Amino acid sequence: MPRPVEKLVSLTINGNEVQAPAGMMLADAALKYGDVEIPVFCYDAKIGPPVGACRMCLVEIEGIPKMQAGCSVAVTDGMVVHTDTPTVKAAQEAVLEFILINHPLDCPVCDKGGECPLQDNAFGWGGGLSRFIEPKRHFEKPLALSPLIAIDRERCILCYRCVRYSQEVAEDFQLVLEERGADTFVTTFDGHPYVAPFSGNIIELCPVGALTSRPYRFRARPWDIEQAGSVCTLCPAQCNVSFSVRDERVLRVLGRDHEGVDDGWLCDKGRFAYQAIHVDQRITAPMLRDGGQLRPVTWEIAIEAAANLLSHAGANTGALVGGETTNEEGVLLTHLMRETLGSHDLDSRPGGALELELLRALNAPTLQASVPDLQYAHAVLVLDCEPVDDAPILDLRLRKGVRHHGVKLLIGSSRPSALDERAAHSARFAPGCGEAFAAALGAELAGQPSASLAEAAGADPADVVALATELREAGEEVVILWGERLTAGPRRNEGARALLNLAQELGLDGQDGGGLLEIPSGTNSRGLREVGVLPNASIGLGDAATVGRDSEQIGEALAAGDLSAVILLHSDPLLDQPSSALWQRALGKASAVIAHAAFLTPAVLEHANVVFPAESYAEKEGTVVHPDSRVQRLRRSIARQGETRAEWALLAELAARIGNDPKALTCSMVSARIFEQVPFYAGLSLDLIGGVGIRWSEREAAASFPAAPAAPFTLDPPPAAASPNGLLRLGSFRSIWASPDVEASPALAFLHPRQRVELSPADAERLGIAHGENVTVASNGDSVTGLAHIRAAAPDGTVFLQTSIPEGSAALLEGPLVEVKRS
Amino acid sequence: MAWDPEKDVIEVIRGPQKAGGAGGLYRAFGETLRGLKTTFGQLRMGVDTIQYPEQKIPVYPRFRGRHQLHRFEDTGLEKCVGCSLCAAACPSDCIRVVAAENTPEHRVSAGERYAAVYEINLSRCIFCGYCEVACPFDAITMGHEFELSDANRSDLIFTKEMLLAEPIERTPLRAEGE
Ligand code: SF4
Ligand code: SF4
Ligand code: SF4
Ligand code: SF4
Ligand code: FES
Repeated sequence: MPRPVEKLVSLTINGNEVQAPAGMMLADAALKYGDVEIPVFCYDAKIGPPVGACRMCLVEIEGIPKMQAGCSVAVTDGMVVHTDTPTVKAAQEAVLEFILINHPLDCPVCDKGGECPLQDNAFGWGGGLSRFIEPKRHFEKPLALSPLIAIDRERCILCYRCVRYSQEVAEDFQLVLEERGADTFVTTFDGHPYVAPFSGNIIELCPVGALTSRPYRFRARPWDIEQAGSVCTLCPAQCNVSFSVRDERVLRVLGRDHEGVDDGWLCDKGRFAYQAIHVDQRITAPMLRDGGQLRPVTWEIAIEAAANLLSHAGANTGALVGGETTNEEGVLLTHLMRETLGSHDLDSRPGGALELELLRALNAPTLQASVPDLQYAHAVLVLDCEPVDDAPILDLRLRKGVRHHGVKLLIGSSRPSALDERAAHSARFAPGCGEAFAAALGAELAGQPSASLAEAAGADPADVVALATELREAGEEVVILWGERLTAGPRRNEGARALLNLAQELGLDGQDGGGLLEIPSGTNSRGLREVGVLPNASIGLGDAATVGRDSEQIGEALAAGDLSAVILLHSDPLLDQPSSALWQRALGKASAVIAHAAFLTPAVLEHANVVFPAESYAEKEGTVVHPDSRVQRLRRSIARQGETRAEWALLAELAARIGNDPKALTCSMVSARIFEQVPFYAGLSLDLIGGVGIRWSEREAAASFPAAPAAPFTLDPPPAAASPNGLLRLGSFRSIWASPDVEASPALAFLHPRQRVELSPADAERLGIAHGENVTVASNGDSVTGLAHIRAAAPDGTVFLQTSIPEGSAALLEGPLVEVKRS
Repeated sequence: MAWDPEKDVIEVIRGPQKAGGAGGLYRAFGETLRGLKTTFGQLRMGVDTIQYPEQKIPVYPRFRGRHQLHRFEDTGLEKCVGCSLCAAACPSDCIRVVAAENTPEHRVSAGERYAAVYEINLSRCIFCGYCEVACPFDAITMGHEFELSDANRSDLIFTKEMLLAEPIERTPLRAEGE
């Protein structure tokens, strides 16, 4: 449904005329437009419609004989509201006295103390005295609601916020209220711990200290900490966060509500993986391999060693750049590679480069959808990605769109999606066949035969017809949320063309409220491409003077001995690249591996000659670009831990030692250079980006985006999906928890995934495999073991394994078919 | 405006040109003698100096000297729960509290939390007593000790152990009616 049009109404609040948008709840309107605070407990606009559970917000409205709940009454024209009459005052005092009857006097030991809405409301609106002398209700406390959340039921004021969040926002349906009256308590439906990708949000929602963070437990008081705003760079969603800092340590992460990015929520990875900043296993000093062992050395020795290795290798150096790299670091790396070493072999895309023309077409500002578009579009097609794993916070946005704005959600993916049950229609295709599926959908929309294409994709032709019908009938505002997987693999260019044709069929170019939105594989993938960290593009997606090798070719050239050194900037090819075997060979052969890493991930541990400590995201400064083209700014929030140094400065120093000083004295100097050199960033500045970022595609400078070829393209017929023939198709996915930061965070480590083998019940029965058994998956002599996970929704004939985990990753196997048996 | 020397008239008052007998004598010594009368008059009153540090003035019960942290007499647990309210109240920001959680095996205070670190930087403390007022558990009180000089600033950061220890009473307390 398109965005609602705002209509203003006038009302009177405490004698003052106020204009507010029609339909807004009185409590919000009074605060925002009338500067009058109506105290609330249970209401929070971001959870959805009010329930009126606590009665804290009572106000008088002329013409209505009884007091009304200000959170549940929408403003209307001519409404006359009083919030400061003796009646209202008496009601507020009575409600607070009532709420405090059973509330323990825990403030000194309660983690919410000092930032507690109940304290604030009691202080601001309460009567100050209690007449209640009877014993209060008692529950066992403190208890763990999950390994991450502590629950204290005595403190709960039964506002329903957490339960409504679980039921209506995260839709994990785990939290419920049990019993009646004063005995009511919050618990999970089945009594199991509340473990979900977004569970941590209830800590911030709870208006009292009933739900508190266990990792933050008793760490600090609001007056002991400072809040430092920055951006979470653990996934492409780039949620806006605020670090609570005490004594140069990040003690917790809170959301910094941004409607255009995260809608006020965080996933549990973003909320708790900050712990990885302060663990002992983090690399905080430079290391050098000496006698087969990595040993800490001084900076001088490490820089000298790296500079020597690099000048020795010269143009025979390759570089892989990971998604957590900022634009500034990316630009300095291109300077080091192209201008200093004379090598053009650098890449930030795993699995090979895309034709530059296609990359431009996919990133064109006219085709760009924004994150809020997901919530207001007529239809959203989720294509070859799983939001909850790839950019978690978008999952909540899609659910909100479906629930509150009637968005028609359509899904085309190979692995069953968590969003399937909210979708108007979902279709499955064989892993790696996104291209054929997009082509089939495009053909069907164009009125051409699609059945053979659908079959080539391993999809049901009826599904393709149904999706196309839904898309055609939905309306013109359509967003395609697509995963980088669609344009990875050997047929990546054809995948991009099929997607662009599909967008063209739907008329998305120039469509307001619709377009394409990519979920890239790395946090700042988009920014890195735009500043030219690609083998075939220069800064600003211009043509590269010399086209270098892409990530796949770098691996091959290393293995063949054509390249001798490789820089791994925040990248571990054994975790990120599609083929582990290739990179095992490549790194084994490389004579110099220089890694910038925070943890000793497999490639670093086994192959790096020089390791530089990587800054954590709380220590970094620089800019990153959100997949919807929002340029955001990272601010340094804590002192760098240990001996860690600024990485942009290190890259500049390396180039200077080798003999070509980039003359970068501060990080903001590099940012300014980027804004000057990228034509479509023209006029940007760090001040303009500020705390909320700015979408470059909405600015005038976007007109200077390089021209791209227009769809439709003639498509090369896609090859048919491999038919299983007794074996199974191999599908892979990267779990939200597959990250070294999750593994290193003590509180989150229990979520760090081990390999599991997802099978359909029919396949499992055929192979005689039971849920939870150890199974081996093998292809071409390589094998991986994991626990069998039988999933009813899994499509027959396909097995899904995880990638990006240190042991037994799916990247060890060569598809498309694998053999699965009990081990 | 330029300075006009004519306007700055300095008036010089001189004594009589001739000394002149008794009047002259009085003018010369009279005032001195008057002053000496006060001086010799004081001799009668005896000595009032306190020979500190051998002698000390007793302090009033409400005197605000060095802080003390307290334990429950029966259980021996610390009264302080590490709530940090004293730190919030302190105008000179000289209290640092880092809390931790009590476990059944390691119980330090009576509540859920306890102060793992409790430090007062006495070189910054202004002895206002706000911390004592803020504490919801009477865990911290102002004692009577004021002899706190030290040769080293960092020795003036008093740790929890120092504050919990029974203070050496070096200062006599003023008795009722004293
Ligand atoms: S636990 Fe907190 S959020 Fe949930 S009902 Fe109780 S007071 Fe409300
Ligand atoms: S969704 Fe991504 S960016 Fe947002 S908090 Fe989670 S990991 Fe961070
Ligand atoms: S007496 Fe005053 S200045 Fe000294 S610690 Fe207490 S509150 Fe702070
Ligand atoms: S001394 Fe009192 S106010 Fe200070 S932390 Fe301990 S209990 Fe809280
Ligand atoms: S805030 Fe209105 S009833 Fe709770």
